[in-house]
Amino acid sequence: MSQLGPQIARPMDRASGRAPAEVGREVAVWRGLLWVAPWLVGFVGFLAAPVAMSLYYSLTDYNLLQPPAYVGLSNYREMFRDAVFWKAVGNTVIYAGMSIPLCTAAALVIAALLNRPVKGVSIYRAAIFLPTLVPAVASAMVWLWLYNGDLGLINSVLRPALAPFGLTPPNWIGLRGSGDKLWAMPALVFMSVWGVGQSVVIYLAAMRDVPRALYEAASLDGMGPVARFWHVTLPGISPVILFNVITSIIASSQVFGAPYIMTQGGPDRATYVYSMYLYDAAFVYITDLGMGYASAMAWVQLVVIVGLTALTLILSRSIVYYRAA
Amino acid sequence: MTSGVDAARVSHTPKRSGAGGSIGTWTRRGVLSALGAGAAGVVLLGPRRAQDAPADRIVIDYWEKWTGEEGRAMQRVVDRFNQSQARIFVRYFAISDIDRKASIAIAGGTPPDIVGLWNYNVPAYAASGAIEPLDEMFGTAGGGVGLRLEDYAPAVREMMRYQGGTWALVNTCGSIGLYYNRRLFRDAGLDPEAPPRTISELDAIAEKLTVVEPGGRLQRAGFLHTEPGWWTWFWGRYFGGNLYDAMNDRATAGAAGNLEAYRWVTGYPRKYGTKNLVGMQAGLGNYSSAQNAFLAGRVAMVLQGPWLANVIGQYAPELDYAVGAPPVADGLYVRDEPIAMLDSDVLMMPRGCRHRAEALEFMAYTQRQEIVEELSTVHCKNSPLVRTSERFIAGHPNRYVKVHGELAASPRAFIFPRTASWSMFRDEMEAGFHRMWRLEDSPESVLAGVDARMQMAIDASRARRERREAGAEA
Repeated sequence: MSQLGPQIARPMDRASGRAPAEVGREVAVWRGLLWVAPWLVGFVGFLAAPVAMSLYYSLTDYNLLQPPAYVGLSNYREMFRDAVFWKAVGNTVIYAGMSIPLCTAAALVIAALLNRPVKGVSIYRAAIFLPTLVPAVASAMVWLWLYNGDLGLINSVLRPALAPFGLTPPNWIGLRGSGDKLWAMPALVFMSVWGVGQSVVIYLAAMRDVPRALYEAASLDGMGPVARFWHVTLPGISPVILFNVITSIIASSQVFGAPYIMTQGGPDRATYVYSMYLYDAAFVYITDLGMGYASAMAWVQLVVIVGLTALTLILSRSIVYYRAA
Repeated sequence: MTSGVDAARVSHTPKRSGAGGSIGTWTRRGVLSALGAGAAGVVLLGPRRAQDAPADRIVIDYWEKWTGEEGRAMQRVVDRFNQSQARIFVRYFAISDIDRKASIAIAGGTPPDIVGLWNYNVPAYAASGAIEPLDEMFGTAGGGVGLRLEDYAPAVREMMRYQGGTWALVNTCGSIGLYYNRRLFRDAGLDPEAPPRTISELDAIAEKLTVVEPGGRLQRAGFLHTEPGWWTWFWGRYFGGNLYDAMNDRATAGAAGNLEAYRWVTGYPRKYGTKNLVGMQAGLGNYSSAQNAFLAGRVAMVLQGPWLANVIGQYAPELDYAVGAPPVADGLYVRDEPIAMLDSDVLMMPRGCRHRAEALEFMAYTQRQEIVEELSTVHCKNSPLVRTSERFIAGHPNRYVKVHGELAASPRAFIFPRTASWSMFRDEMEAGFHRMWRLEDSPESVLAGVDARMQMAIDASRARRERREAGAEA
């Protein structure tokens, strides 16, 4: 409230008996609270309260249709004995383990290529970013056709290429559970690379921010483009890489849309990821697992994500380079 | 909104642009205009009541899953009901993901008065106390509306009931028959008037109809258990098996009939090769398309409901096909007592329904023979009622609707197992089926695994129920 200017001795406010400056400060505080009230109401009503309630529900037997009954840690104990839970955990780890490195590498390479003075580069940038604007369901439908075992574009290209070696392309996703158990998850991972446009834009901005002088010095030292990328670009944008890796960990740990639409978790639960099981527990297996169990799963998920984020931050200390401001 | 000091400062701030006052003033004006425009937008274009209801009538809300032509048919029924009397007004809402939304609405205490779900929902909803019993609708005593259980086929009655009570009304249903391609039968030298009656006959005919390319790839399958693959759990029923013993609340996936059935199922990948069968599946088209495996002649026989006639009429009207009873294990064949599955849509009354008597009146209206037949015709299903009119049979888009009616009326017609844990049961069977189909696991091991997991779930569910009941009594 420094805008109020220098405090000069003024008469007291008649109603409150306080100095006008003090009253002004209070009014400003209330005015500020009024302006943030919509956010506060939203935060408390739609985030803080549901989060607190989900913590309580995780300690209850609650199927939405009947009032919750307190059961202590029973849901958590049951979860760790549940084979499908571990299958979902395993699938999510596989997805994240493949998707994060692949997407990070792909985004870095694409950003590095787009950072070069190429003719029509803005068109390429737009083309790379465009898939992130496509709704998830629409892109899933497109990829279902691309992955079609018999008629899909991918296998149409792979089939003649693999034929001389006596190989046939996999069934990828497949319909009616006909997908290839080995390739269904990689298929979802490859599809995730299609949406790296957002990361590319962030990397591109970071690359622009790396001082030119460093590249000039590296060139004078005889470094080629690859060495410059490795020794100058990567350290220069390492904080941004860290940011993207952390957001990727969070996003891939919660992956839901693509497997839900494309595989429904099949074949034989090969793509049945954590969030899908959580959803099914809450809304499909209502009398067997229910919202209590799903809430417990959500809290385990939160703890794991926070733990992974903290671990990433700790491990990154020695490899992330922060330039002096 | 600015204090005098602020205003003084603003007035002395040099303008950054020539347009419209200082940045501060412009921003404030802009924000207020934007908020005003937003508010006006909400008022003009925002949410409002979907349908205007007459003020002098009791309004009941009816949620249904149907959209498109099926939804329009139901809307016509609703409109006629609304015009037929002056006391009740029914509002029809087509809802996606209706079972999830219905359970949330019931939990939130704001359910519709009537909800249209699937028959497999009945046990879970009834066991959870999420729906109201409808026993009073049968008979005329106690405000009943005079419906009679004996007007429905035996299997349909089973679908309406759970643990001795009536919880749902069936408005449309479909029995699953064997659809076979008569042209392919003729081409293979088979009698197109003699579909297979037993599993042995099915195997023999399927073998004659199957076309295998030199490399082992299947050009055409006589029969494929995974086409369309909607009911991977039901094969045991054609061998006398059952997945669930309702009397003793036991999972019985490992029963002899089920084992025999899945040994038969796995005989196909053993014979033709998993890779070839799975490879063929991968190339089959979507159900509602000209590439549908049966329509395209890629699979000669499929187990399907009467609604397939609608798809055939739309994409392959020239297809020469017929419908028979599903083949059963050799020792189980009885000519007049076919074994066939029955599926249906149901009407239920959610807990917390605000206008019970009025909702019952509308539900009873939907059970009139002419209404049931009108809906069944548009939905291309057979009638759940025992009696059907000649007009219904003659005007139905499926010329084999009479066959489907006979399948539904059979004393050996079966329905989804009546357990509240059915969704989990179904998914366990689905996952297990694909392991068996790929020969990755034996039927003995898979079915024993399903039994173990499901019994655990059933026991836990029962324990929870008993705990709740004990708590309620206390």
